[in-house]
Amino acid sequence: MPETTDFLYPFIEGDETDSGTLLEDLARSAEGKWSQSSALREATLTQSAAQVQATAAAMAERFRAGGRLFTFGNGGSATDAEAVAHLYTQPPWGRALPARSLAEDQAVMTALGNDVGFDLVFSRQLIAHGRAHDIAMGFSTSGNSENLMRAFAEARKQAMLTVGLSGYDGGRMAAEGTPVAQCLVARSDSVHRIQESQAALNHALWAAVQEAIS
Amino acid sequence: MADTTQTVTVTDEVGGVAQDLARASLAMARRFSAGATMWCASPNWPFHAHHVAVEFVHPVIMGKRALPAVTVPPAADMVASLRASVVPGDIVLVLADADDARVVETMRRGAAWGVETVWIGAGKHRPAPGSANHVIWLHTEDPLEASELFVRIYHLLWELTHVCFEHPGLLKPEPECTSTGEVGSVCITCSDEGRPAEVVSVDGDEALVRTPEGQEHIDVSLIDPPAPGDLVLVHAGFAITAATEPGRSV
Repeated sequence: MPETTDFLYPFIEGDETDSGTLLEDLARSAEGKWSQSSALREATLTQSAAQVQATAAAMAERFRAGGRLFTFGNGGSATDAEAVAHLYTQPPWGRALPARSLAEDQAVMTALGNDVGFDLVFSRQLIAHGRAHDIAMGFSTSGNSENLMRAFAEARKQAMLTVGLSGYDGGRMAAEGTPVAQCLVARSDSVHRIQESQAALNHALWAAVQEAIS
Repeated sequence: MADTTQTVTVTDEVGGVAQDLARASLAMARRFSAGATMWCASPNWPFHAHHVAVEFVHPVIMGKRALPAVTVPPAADMVASLRASVVPGDIVLVLADADDARVVETMRRGAAWGVETVWIGAGKHRPAPGSANHVIWLHTEDPLEASELFVRIYHLLWELTHVCFEHPGLLKPEPECTSTGEVGSVCITCSDEGRPAEVVSVDGDEALVRTPEGQEHIDVSLIDPPAPGDLVLVHAGFAITAATEPGRSV
């Protein structure tokens, strides 16, 4: 028997039955978020245009000298690291360049995580692989991940070029005294929108590297 | 060769996919509520499948439900791996081109396995009508633009799925036609003319087949002898026809 106050809490009993309104709301929400993502993408690419060119020039110099690109990140950012390594090694056009994601090998990741701790999973790999002409590129939405900061510090020690992609206000990766030489920031407080704009930055940077190296 | 100059452009494609995203999200929320596992695969872009899975398992927003999502290993035989793993009620989400034969073969088994299928992709060619329960397709033919927009699409799928959880009354399964139209030319809940089934083993005129309701023995004497893995339509204990070859992308 419905209570007389049910109108205050229309769906509290879980008896909502018409999905039409929800579907309309969902579609409208998708459109709104899509526009936000497009706006942040444009703003990020515009603000970062000069830095993208400078970073690409420095990267092209490293590649020409025989350097390799090492990418890394945690969670969704680990998949970005994987996507970027894929793009550089198997490009849709242009020149294939040596790149590898440090987050991809689960044997190495779990060995290091278990034996020396998760803060060192990327830096220890750079100790093993890094050379002076190489490039270390790390992805984070907060810009604060400890294992990225450790990896950047190690890369810097080896005279590698350090490139970071960050979100929010850039975090530790963009703060004073950072070991990150070029930190590109998607300025938003939504993790999803940040990652979407970082994908655009990755593609812009890759295209600029291709242009600089050809 | 395409030019390498500057940034890719992002056309505003949301008009074409907003409704599809909404419907897919509600269907996924219903399946998750009923206990589904979501199997994510992207044979050519494994990082996209990894990203979808981590998104659902480890939400970026504190307090949101962790949902069971798994990446199908890119090196795996997709059909064999999923055949062994999925149970009726699960979700299979794939990011792939329309003409990826591995994906076509997987998706056309969705009705026999009893899973909800979601196919995300881009380009001039779309999967044939009815290839999956949900097709979310972008028009762009620029691979970089498509890759960027895929990230948006699965982020939105996650966000909208969680919005649906705030509407428990709408998460009960709907008594609706769920046929994809491809395998079963006739819907199992609308008519009894033919139910899609996948052949498990054959012994003379008899075959063991898999359907969403479980395994059953059927008579295959009316059709050419099928092989394990073939799809057939079952009516009243008989295979009445072999399911046709998968449709071409259009």
